[in-house]
Amino acid sequence: MTITAETGPPTRAAAPVGRLLAAEVRWVFRRPRTLVTLGLFALIPVLIAIGVVVADRDGGGGLIGAVAGNGLVLPIAALTVALALLLPLAVAMAAADALAGEAANGTLRGLLLAPVSRLRLVGVKAFGVLVVAAAVALAIAVVGVLAGMVVVGSADGGMVTLSGTTLGLAAGLARVALVTVWVVGQLAAVGAVALAVSSLTEHPLVVLASVLGGLIAFGVLSAIPALDWLQPWLLTSGWSAGADALRDPITLDAMGSSTLRALCYAAIGVGFTLWRMQRRDA
Amino acid sequence: MAVGTAGRLWARIGTGMAIAGAVGLGLVAMPAGAGAAPNLPPVSPEDLVASVEKADPGPLNGTVELDNALGLPAIPGAPDLANGTKEARVWSDGTGKGRVALPSDQGEKTLVSDGTTAWSYDSTDRTATKKAVTPGEHRPEAADPTRSAADAITELRTTSTVTVDGTAEVAGRPAYELVLAPKPTERTLLREVRIAVDSEKRIPLRLTVLATGSADPAFEVGFTDLTFGPQDPSLFTFTPPPGTTVKDAPQGDRTPGGKPAGAAPTVVGDGWDTVVIAKRPAPEQAPQGTPDLSRLGTPVSGSWGSGRLVTTAVASAILTDDGRVAAGAVPEQVLTEALSK
Repeated sequence: MTITAETGPPTRAAAPVGRLLAAEVRWVFRRPRTLVTLGLFALIPVLIAIGVVVADRDGGGGLIGAVAGNGLVLPIAALTVALALLLPLAVAMAAADALAGEAANGTLRGLLLAPVSRLRLVGVKAFGVLVVAAAVALAIAVVGVLAGMVVVGSADGGMVTLSGTTLGLAAGLARVALVTVWVVGQLAAVGAVALAVSSLTEHPLVVLASVLGGLIAFGVLSAIPALDWLQPWLLTSGWSAGADALRDPITLDAMGSSTLRALCYAAIGVGFTLWRMQRRDA
Repeated sequence: MAVGTAGRLWARIGTGMAIAGAVGLGLVAMPAGAGAAPNLPPVSPEDLVASVEKADPGPLNGTVELDNALGLPAIPGAPDLANGTKEARVWSDGTGKGRVALPSDQGEKTLVSDGTTAWSYDSTDRTATKKAVTPGEHRPEAADPTRSAADAITELRTTSTVTVDGTAEVAGRPAYELVLAPKPTERTLLREVRIAVDSEKRIPLRLTVLATGSADPAFEVGFTDLTFGPQDPSLFTFTPPPGTTVKDAPQGDRTPGGKPAGAAPTVVGDGWDTVVIAKRPAPEQAPQGTPDLSRLGTPVSGSWGSGRLVTTAVASAILTDDGRVAAGAVPEQVLTEALSK
């Protein structure tokens, strides 16, 4: 593996990025816990669908209530519900394994000594976390659409918006895709911060505890009226914006501003990880 | 390879990224500062009000934000009146058709009027309510806008000072600020009422109510976003979506004769310190859904009797034990004087 006998210069050429990324993705998905997480997350929309059908109409207000007889809302409702804690948990798990887990196993030492620049190492690990984020979000979205169409059923094959208009199937699926992309963006921010914590410690549990603890702390802070001014700084304060995709005409303000905020959090996380990994001794 | 020159460079780039992220977060979090007051040709209050009455803005859409800091006590059954901000998205085609969306966190109330039928749709219980409207009933022919504006301002000037006080930028549009302030002789809780009027289209963009003793508005409603131009006609039609309960709005429950039993309210004083005294409906004959007011406020008593005093940032009310209500934008003393008369 270390021999890269290509027609390059006599100094050891770095492995192609594509192969490194593929190797990392394979490494991530070979872990049974990743696959179990994916499978369990795919169950969320199914459970909501069964719950909505069993509860019949008048299942209460909120997004879950809007799912009744309106299957295409299910993936958006399921993503919004899971975004609160479950999706960040999956991403934090991946980030914890990426650096802290490797350090705990002793395998990080090999990676730090290998002829791979630290920059590339961080890039590959960040990519692995992003792939997990996209995979879990996509699993919920795809299973959500299927369960919504099959179990709940939809009105004329379309989506009834919160504004009382009916969208066609294609427009409805586009709304689901938009929310999925937005959720992946939010999860990328969580993943970047988790990766930064992961680069600081050798204990994967510390990463999980700090990410979940941080989310709960954000929730507590946003519930205190005297700390209103803090709201725009908190990553979680824009997490109800997914419902905006169900309005007609659609309003993108809240999703746009929360995506900008997520990008800032991601920059802080990745920047800190880079800084830390350059200084970390093998 | 551990910390080479390249390594140091990337460590520095990493630090830079983290700092850029933190600064960017600050930029996202900071509210956009108010722009400098625009320079506009001066206008007299009479001309401004007359041009508002003549204004025809045409089709438009925008976002209206309501900022309520009135400090109303929590009334069971009417949570919408509590302090806070609310948002509405509005569309109008300029000829009486319109659409209003009142978004909440996980739902939405939609009101659509196509000129002959008004629909209201509530996403939380999926009901659509239908009501016939007579087109143009809200547009009585004003005799002469210039005359009626002058009359209105002359009337106002007996108790208020009316000025055009500078300019402001509202929803990115330059606007005149029409200010109504009570004369010093008026005993009122209000300091001034400011109305921002669009300098080009001459429609009111923002209404601000300021109370004495506070720099922050007690109540403000205005556009945060406004675009003029043709609107999609499909916005002004409504077809109940599948799975909706369609109801007809009860007709005629708003006629004057349908008011709760009781004499016409008495008005004491004029101008800003007007006090309205009315009879309260007895609890057993109150219409369904009337909030329970019996536990509000603090007990007060005087030569007029006794009752409970409810104060807010801009108004006070006394609910007497003998079934009267006195209310006005005035301090408690003015209310008790009015009740003693």
